[in-house]
Amino acid sequence: MTTGIPAPATGAGPRRLAWQRRRRSAVRFWAEYRTHRAGLVGLAALTLFALVALTAPLTVGSDVAGATDAPGQPMESPSGEFPLGTDRFGRDLLGLLVWGSRVSLLVGLLAAVLSVAIGALVGVTAGHFKGWYATVLMRVTDWFLVMPTLVLAIALATVLSRSLGTVILAIGVTSWPTTARLVRAQTLAVESRPYIERAKALGGGHGHIMSRHVLPNVMPLVLAQATLMVSSAILAEATLAFLGLGDPTVVSWGGLLQEAREAGAVSSGDWWYLVPPGIAIAAVALAFTLCGRAVESVLNPRLGVDR
Amino acid sequence: MSTPVHGSGFPSSRRLRPRVARLVAVAGAAALTTLAGLATPLNPAPQQASAADGDKVLTVAVAQSVDSLSPFLASRLLSTSIHRLMYEYLTNYDPTNARTIPGLATKWQSSSDKLTWTYTIRSNSKWSDGQQATAEDAAWTFNTMMTDEGAATANGSFVANFEKVTAPSPTKLVIKLKKPQATMTALDVPIVPKHQWEKVGDLSKFNNDKSFPVVGNGPFILTDYKPDGYVRLKANKSFWRGAPKFDELLFRYYKDQDAAVAALRKGEVSFVAGSPSLTPAQAASLKNAENIHVNDAPGRRFYALATNPGAKAKNGQKFGDGDPSLLDERVRHALFMAVDRKAVIDKVFQGHAVEGQGYIPPRFPQYFWKPSPSQELTYDPAKAAQLLDQAGYRKNSSGKRLGKDGKPITYRVLCHATDPNDKAVGQYLTEWWSKLGIGVTLDCLDNVTDPWLAGNYDLAFDGWSVNPDPDFVLSIHTCAALPATPKDTGATDNFICDKQYDSLYARQLAEYDPAERATIVKQMESRLYDLGYMNVMAYPNAVEAYRTDQIKSIRTMPSAAGNIYGQDGYWSWWSAVPAASDGSSDDSGSTGIVIGGIVAAVVVVGAGVFFAMRRRATAEDRE
Repeated sequence: MTTGIPAPATGAGPRRLAWQRRRRSAVRFWAEYRTHRAGLVGLAALTLFALVALTAPLTVGSDVAGATDAPGQPMESPSGEFPLGTDRFGRDLLGLLVWGSRVSLLVGLLAAVLSVAIGALVGVTAGHFKGWYATVLMRVTDWFLVMPTLVLAIALATVLSRSLGTVILAIGVTSWPTTARLVRAQTLAVESRPYIERAKALGGGHGHIMSRHVLPNVMPLVLAQATLMVSSAILAEATLAFLGLGDPTVVSWGGLLQEAREAGAVSSGDWWYLVPPGIAIAAVALAFTLCGRAVESVLNPRLGVDR
Repeated sequence: MSTPVHGSGFPSSRRLRPRVARLVAVAGAAALTTLAGLATPLNPAPQQASAADGDKVLTVAVAQSVDSLSPFLASRLLSTSIHRLMYEYLTNYDPTNARTIPGLATKWQSSSDKLTWTYTIRSNSKWSDGQQATAEDAAWTFNTMMTDEGAATANGSFVANFEKVTAPSPTKLVIKLKKPQATMTALDVPIVPKHQWEKVGDLSKFNNDKSFPVVGNGPFILTDYKPDGYVRLKANKSFWRGAPKFDELLFRYYKDQDAAVAALRKGEVSFVAGSPSLTPAQAASLKNAENIHVNDAPGRRFYALATNPGAKAKNGQKFGDGDPSLLDERVRHALFMAVDRKAVIDKVFQGHAVEGQGYIPPRFPQYFWKPSPSQELTYDPAKAAQLLDQAGYRKNSSGKRLGKDGKPITYRVLCHATDPNDKAVGQYLTEWWSKLGIGVTLDCLDNVTDPWLAGNYDLAFDGWSVNPDPDFVLSIHTCAALPATPKDTGATDNFICDKQYDSLYARQLAEYDPAERATIVKQMESRLYDLGYMNVMAYPNAVEAYRTDQIKSIRTMPSAAGNIYGQDGYWSWWSAVPAASDGSSDDSGSTGIVIGGIVAAVVVVGAGVFFAMRRRATAEDRE
C-alpha cells in the first residue's frame, strides 16, 4: 500500500467485462430456450408449482395437516366444500395436496442437488487426477451404477431413523453415479485442451485448474443433469414414502398415496384419494424433464439439432 | 438418461394432418387395449383353486406368516388356529357361550384337595394313520413339555405347575399339581401322537413341515405348506364330531390387504379377515357388493397404549432408556386423560370398535370390568395439564414442559409400521400431547420387537387377543414374567412388576369357584387401570367378509355376534357349509380397477397427443 496503484480501476474492468459477457450469454441462452416449446410449457408448469408451494402457508396454512380439528368426515367423496374429498382423518385433500407439494418439491430439489454435487465432485476429481485414484473411484462408481438404486435407498431408509433428512440422503447417495460418469467424460475432454496446459505452465495448481477452468466448463452439463435429476428424485421420494419408509407425520404426495392404500382406498374405489397425488407427481416430474431436456439441448450443441 | 427419439425420415408437414389423426387413433386404440386388458380378468367366471375335480375348497386369504407348524413352538394366531384344526385339545369351548365342553377328554374332575385332576379320554378319536388316540399320547405331550425346555417354548406356562402326569389306562389321564390351578379346564395345548413325535430329535428345531400329510386327529389334516405361499388342509372324514362339509381348506397368502379384498370381489378367495381387520373403507364398499357378506362383530382384542415402567430383569438389573418422568403415576394418568378415546373410535375405527375401559373386552362379560366414576380417567385435557403441573413438570416460556433435567420432554412412541391404525392414532397423540406441551416422536418400525425387548421406548401401541380363560393375558404383567437377566427374553409384555397385582394373580389362579375368580380378576383389572402402565383405548371389532355364493353358512363365535377368523376352537371352518352351486356369478363392483383403467386411458391418450405435437414441432422445424 505504499504507492497508490488504482486497484479498483484495474479490478473493475475485467469484472465488468465478465458481467457483460455473462449477461450476454444469459440473453443468448434465453433466446435459444424460448424456441423450445416443450421447455416453455415445462417452465410454466414449474413456476405454477413453485408458486403453489411457496404460497401454501398463506392459502391453506399448516392447520390443514391437523387431524384433531379436521373439518370433514373420513373418506368423503368430492363435494362443493371439499373439491377433492377428504382423507381418512376427514382432512381436506385439496389442501393436503397443496401442502404436500412443499415436501415433495423440497426433497426432490435437495436430493437432486446432493446427488449432482457428489457426482460432480467425483467426476471432476476422477477426470483430473487420473491414475490409480481415478481407477478406484470409477470402480466404486460402477459398483453404485449396477446396484439397483431403489433397493439401496430402501436399505438406507430402513437402517436410519425416519425423517426427511434420511430420505434426502438415501436418494442423494444412491443416484449420483450417472452424473459422475458424465462429468468425468466432460472433464477429460476439457483437460485435453491446450489452455489447460498453459495454465499449468503458468503455475496453476490442481485446485486452481479444477475450480477455475474445468468446473465452469462442466457446469452447463451439471445444471442440465441437476434439472433432470429432480424429476427422478421426486419419483424416488414418492416411491419411498409409498413404501412406508418416509416420516409418517409429514404430508407428502407419496405419503398420501401410501395412506390411501393403507386405508383401503384402492379396493373400495375411492379414486379421489389416489388420483390427484398421482397426477401431481407425474406432472411435476414431467415438467422438470421438459425443462431439463430443453436446457440440455440449448447447452449441448451436439444435441441441438433436434431435441 | 434416455436419449430422445430422433425423428428420421418423417414425411414433411404437408401430410401432417392425417398423421396426427393416425397417431391419436393409435393412442386411442392403445388405450382401448389397455382397458380391455384390465377388463378381461373380470369377465370369466372366478377360478376356484381346486385340487381335484368336484372338491369343495374353502379358500381363506391370510397375511400373517407361520412362525412354526410345531405345536410346541407356535405362538402366532394363524399357526395356533391351524393347530386347532390339526389336533384335538383335551377340552374345547362352546361356540355359543365360550363355556368349556368336551374335546379329546369327555369328562374331568378334581380331587377334594384340588391337586389331582382326572380326565376321561374318548375312545372314538383316531389318528389319521389309523392308530387310536389315547391318554398315553396326552401324557407324553405334557411330560415332554415338562422335561424338554425346547418343547415348553409356546405353552410352557400351562405345565409349569404340574407335578406329575400319568396315563394309567388308554382312557384315563391323571395330572398331579403342585398348587391349585384354575386353568385346568382351559389347557389350550394340542395333544400330539406319541408314536410320531417320539422319533423327532430336537423339538426346539423341528418345525413339523418336512413330511406331509401330518398325522393328526382334528377336523382337518395338514397336507401341504409353502412358507408365505399357502397352507393346505384336507377334511378328516372320520373326525369324531362329524366330517367338515368342505373337502379342502386352503389358507392362501395375500400380503397386501387391498389385493386380498380384490381377490374376494373376484371370487378367488372365499373369506378375508384382514390383518387385523378390514379397514372401514373396505368394509363400507364390500357391504354394497353382491354375494358378499360383511361380518362386523365385537372382537376379542384390546388396543392399548403401554407405558415403559422402567424395564428391569428378575435379577433386579435395570435396562432400557424409558423416560424417568413416566415413573410418576400422575404423568401417566395425565397422558391418558389427554387421549380422546371417543375420537379414536369415531375417526380412526369409524365405529368399528368399542371405547376402552378395563383390560378384558366386553366380549367376555364374566370378566369385563369398568372403572368406577371416581377412578375413571375421563378425557379432560385441562385436568391433565393440572396434574402435570402438580407433578412438577411445568411449561417454559415457549410452552414446552421441562423434565427434571431441564430439557423439554419428548416421548418416543413405538408403533407398528404395518398397522395403519397405529399411525393414525399416533398422529392424534402427537397433536393432543403437543397441546399439553409434550413432544412426540413416532417410531414406526417393521420390527418393533428389538427396541421393545431392550426396553428402549417410552410408550408403545400394544394389543392382545384375549382367550375365554384370561389367565394368559393376566400372567404377562406379573413379576414372574420378567426376563431372568437383561439379555434374556421373558414372557412379560411391558415389564410391569407390582406386588399387589402379583398376589391377586396367585389368588385367582388357585380359585376354583368361577364367580369368586371373576371377582379377583376384576380387582386385578382395577389395579392395572390405576397403575396407568396399560391404558386400553379401544376394543376393535373383528371386521371380516366372505362370499355367500361359496359359503352358504358359517358359525360365528359367540353365535349371537361373533367373529369367524381366529376363534377359540375350530367351529367356523368345521361348520362352514358350501353353497349349492359353485360361485360363478361375476362381481360388478370393481370400480377401483375400472377407474384405474380410465386413468390409464387418459394418460395414454394424453401421451399420444403430446407425442403427436412433439413430432409436428419437429416436422415444422425441418421445413
